[in-house]
Amino acid sequence: MTNTTLEAPQTTTARSSTHLSFPRVVRSEWIKLRTLRSTQWSFAIFVLLTVGFGLLMAVTLDTSSGPAVDTETQKSLTVMVATLGVNFTQLVAAVLGVLIISGEYTTGMIRSTFAAVPTRLPALFAKALVLAVATFVVSLVSIIVTALVTAPILSGQGIEGQLFDGEVMRALVGGAGYLTLIALLAFGFGAVLRNSAGGIASVLGLILVVPTVLQILAGITQAVWAQNLSAFLPSTAGALMYAVGDGSAAGGPPIGAIGAGVITLDTTQGFLVLLGWVVVMMIAAAALIKRRDA
Amino acid sequence: MIEIQGLTKRYGAKTAVDNITATIRPGLVTGFLGPNGAGKSTTMRTIVGLDRPDSGSVTVNGKRYAEHQNPMHEVGALLDAKAIHTGRTAYNHLLAMAATHGIGKARVHEVIAMTGLESVAKKRVGGFSLGMGQRLGIAAALLGDPQTLILDEPVNGLDPEGVMWVRKLTKHLASQGRTIFLSSHLMSEMSLTADHLIVLGRGRIIADAPVGEILALATGTAVRVRTPQAADLANRLASSDVTVTSVEGDLLTIAGLASAQIGEAAAQAGIVLHELTPLSASLEDAYLELTQDDVEYHSEVSR
Repeated sequence: MTNTTLEAPQTTTARSSTHLSFPRVVRSEWIKLRTLRSTQWSFAIFVLLTVGFGLLMAVTLDTSSGPAVDTETQKSLTVMVATLGVNFTQLVAAVLGVLIISGEYTTGMIRSTFAAVPTRLPALFAKALVLAVATFVVSLVSIIVTALVTAPILSGQGIEGQLFDGEVMRALVGGAGYLTLIALLAFGFGAVLRNSAGGIASVLGLILVVPTVLQILAGITQAVWAQNLSAFLPSTAGALMYAVGDGSAAGGPPIGAIGAGVITLDTTQGFLVLLGWVVVMMIAAAALIKRRDA
Repeated sequence: MIEIQGLTKRYGAKTAVDNITATIRPGLVTGFLGPNGAGKSTTMRTIVGLDRPDSGSVTVNGKRYAEHQNPMHEVGALLDAKAIHTGRTAYNHLLAMAATHGIGKARVHEVIAMTGLESVAKKRVGGFSLGMGQRLGIAAALLGDPQTLILDEPVNGLDPEGVMWVRKLTKHLASQGRTIFLSSHLMSEMSLTADHLIVLGRGRIIADAPVGEILALATGTAVRVRTPQAADLANRLASSDVTVTSVEGDLLTIAGLASAQIGEAAAQAGIVLHELTPLSASLEDAYLELTQDDVEYHSEVSR
């Protein structure tokens, strides 16, 4: 702290080459993402939970008592094992998504960010992009690793992985896609609320509490509107992305409750509904970030 | 060159900055002085676009800050030593800031060396003292080799060696033709560092003049006079340009006349003087006097 020098040596880079650009802002956000312990921990937990729960389910699965499992069920079980962890990692994705932006507001870092990128939106989108890519890659890798690691165990139970089956592959990628969109949804909440506790509470409320409340309500009253509303919630609609078959395996509408006027979504529709949530939150975040004082 | 035109900023019902117009010129260290809550930080924040003005405009070298291709090369700003994520190391913080403009690692190491942060560069910012935070903030401001440097209370929390360093650095950068704009509530520090002063009080500019002129205007001709015929002397000197204040029975403070003129006037009238002292106030006094009543001095000082 004592050897301070006065002279500003000429910079080694040519002046003309330094300027602001979107790829550079992305690079900056990537540095920010990887240099925080919270992100490193989050992604480590991601891998651990996905592989851990997959192994747990594969080991405890017992098909010996029943009849031989058909191909459809084999696919369904393969996907279920590989994506069981998603139920838990979605919480990590949600917390990470909020923290990545709210952490900048609570520490004041956002003022440094916006001073360097005064048009602001490139910083917001670069941050979202980096979060999305990192979340997608980490979740896809952990899901695929889980599928590969559990394949020999499941094989012993008479379940052949069918990993190269189109539907299975789509569901595995869908699981990673779901987590990515949940992270982005949370990011939108964090950007709008600018507060870690508020952001996390809102997102977890939306993906955990609201569906449960609606399910209970629908169960008691058989109200069609409650079932329909539930179908359009981010976690319910998004769950279709990593389900095979009728989607019932991964939290679709309860079987037997389907009555007249009840809407059921297919995989693509489920994806589009969740994407819609993300887009709406991102638009709100972008509009507010442009207008508000930092 | 920073040009502020009719800038007004309100926070709810409170007007933080009230229609101020000023030009901060290159090649000088311009000090921004004012009591807490006068609107200094708000003004500085609008320069780099962190706060949106309610009316008026601020340009840096002819353009709004956000319109520049190379913002960090136009303006380096330390607005808040705490505007840094506490979980990141100093080096990584600077690296991320530099990356937005494609500024290389070499420059990051340079600014770390310039600000004397080598020993703590790999430590998390959360454990930094205020002084280290200030140094890191200044390091970040210098990354882009800026033409204009804005520092909000830069010496806050710095040790004497650091204060000296900031003083030398700002003077040195100004001598290279850069625009330096720094705020402080330490008037004594300003008198040593700044060439030009803008004094702000309750969101308005009270004074905008070279340091020496502000001293002269606010205090130049005040004289303390002790005389048993105080009332007599006061009557004799009274005119529109002269302010006579009675301090106690036989003690007057007279502003607007030199001590020689007062002495001569007293001799002519046969008034006995016991004391005749020109008051050379410090910048501190000048500042306090200026901020006492901003409206009264507005027209006089800013001309």
